[in-house]
Amino acid sequence: MRREARWGYILTLPFTVHLLVFFAFPFFFSLYLTFTQWDMFNAPAWIGGKNWVRLLDDRSFWSSLRNILLFALVFVPLQTILALVLAFFLNQSIRAKSFYRVIYFLPVVTPWLAGGTMWGWMMNKTYGLANYLLGLLSLPPVDWLDSKHWVLPITSVALVNVWKGVGSSMIILLAAIQGVPKDLYEASSLEGASRWSMFWHIVFPIVSPMIFLVLILSTISAFQAFDVFLVMFNAPNIVPDSKVTPNILIYKDAFLTTKMGYASAMSWALFIVIMAVTLVQKRFEKRWVHYG
Amino acid sequence: MGNKFFFKNLIIHVLLIAGSTAMLLPFYWMVSTSLKTGANVAKLPPQWIPSPFVWSNFSEVWLKVDFARYTLNSFLIVTADIVGMLLSCSMVAFGMAMFNFKLKKFLYFGMLATLMLPFQVTMIPGYFIWTSFGALNTYYPLIVPSFLGGSFGIFLLHQFYKSTTKELYEAATIDGCGPWTVLWKIYFPLSRAVLSALAVFTFMGAWSNTIGPLLYLQDKELFTLPLGLLFLRSDVGMEQQILMAAAVIVTLPVVVVFLFAQKQFVEGIASTGLKG
Repeated sequence: MRREARWGYILTLPFTVHLLVFFAFPFFFSLYLTFTQWDMFNAPAWIGGKNWVRLLDDRSFWSSLRNILLFALVFVPLQTILALVLAFFLNQSIRAKSFYRVIYFLPVVTPWLAGGTMWGWMMNKTYGLANYLLGLLSLPPVDWLDSKHWVLPITSVALVNVWKGVGSSMIILLAAIQGVPKDLYEASSLEGASRWSMFWHIVFPIVSPMIFLVLILSTISAFQAFDVFLVMFNAPNIVPDSKVTPNILIYKDAFLTTKMGYASAMSWALFIVIMAVTLVQKRFEKRWVHYG
Repeated sequence: MGNKFFFKNLIIHVLLIAGSTAMLLPFYWMVSTSLKTGANVAKLPPQWIPSPFVWSNFSEVWLKVDFARYTLNSFLIVTADIVGMLLSCSMVAFGMAMFNFKLKKFLYFGMLATLMLPFQVTMIPGYFIWTSFGALNTYYPLIVPSFLGGSFGIFLLHQFYKSTTKELYEAATIDGCGPWTVLWKIYFPLSRAVLSALAVFTFMGAWSNTIGPLLYLQDKELFTLPLGLLFLRSDVGMEQQILMAAAVIVTLPVVVVFLFAQKQFVEGIASTGLKG
């Protein structure tokens, strides 16, 4: 072996081990497990497609997909639009830019456990600040998290997720907006264009590939939501179908009831759903994303 | 014209300040609640500024619930993760940036693939691997992977090494240094800025990590802060002021690190489009 190649292999050895042991093996092993029944103590027992058939008939699983879909539908557009507006504002020549940037970014670095604890208290039905503020506006109190119907709790958590994530999308989009050539603005402001039309006709097309990236990333993260549901609903102890997500179910089945095979099947089903959603987004990409 | 410009900026400021208030309000409410007496927590209308100030909520969490221990554990794990990440990512990125070898393409592909595959798919086999090593209820599952490199850090450092000139490497080897020495004596110190960004990212990620400790740690003495808070929450009789004091302890270190290192952090995200 050439000396150069030898050094390449030696230096990258840690990551090769990482990929083989903690990625490639788990990937194929988990696919195999979806066709087995396994409690982790005895050898996995092959049961063919039974897990998959059971999955089609599992009410909790379908509820979790329904919940996570609503969660993504509220969270992703709201976060992306807000992030875009914030990034556009922060790109203007205004004072205290970096101050705002730090504030909007603060929730991003706050651990979910702490952020969720704060919001659980903010959204407390009786003593929460949220309902108190609504009361000041003479609005009726909202049962943010404990409502029996699934739409309200899921929407509340989606809003908290926007609080947590808007800063990071904002930073990515701000970097993209800052890449828009200055003379384009100047030319259009000479022609008397308003900020709105400047945004719509100049900034948006140039930034659209980055918006697309942010959309894809936040959609994927939405479908994988775990920590936020764990902390907001005190999961995985007792979670009703109205508040459950696929990842909470996977955790529960794998580690509380040790149904490893079935949990693996769920994780693959979620993986497939995420890939399908990403492909759909990719299909619509041509309609609105402009590549230079 | 000048007036109109001022007015437009004023609207932007008003909107940005309104948004900032919404961002900060939960933090304020957490701190405020953590300093209240139990009776004042449930007061309506709510008490904006605690009166009297009660610091004992913190000592209760710190000593009785043993958050002092959890804090120490968290710092221990995070420090090990940072050391591991900086060393291993430097090695791997250097190897990929400077040398040609057949399997390099697979490593690139693997980097992308690890970013795309949901954690849950590899979670169960990963748990199985650590159980068969007898590493349940130890810190190995939380620390060892950091010493094997992570896609994000390798990517960052790889971009940096690629941007340095080939002459630098040649000049160093002509002096008779082997690649190993060149890496640690020249490139590692040279990449200080990127390394500090990676250290900040690793800190944030490891500090917030919940699922890892939840899977692998069982003894309370081994708990990290997020795990301690999770278990405190499921304690039904737990009062809000205690929970909030605990949440303050979990939040404070990351906020401090972020305020000091926000530039690296924000630029790291902006340049790669990725979260840690």
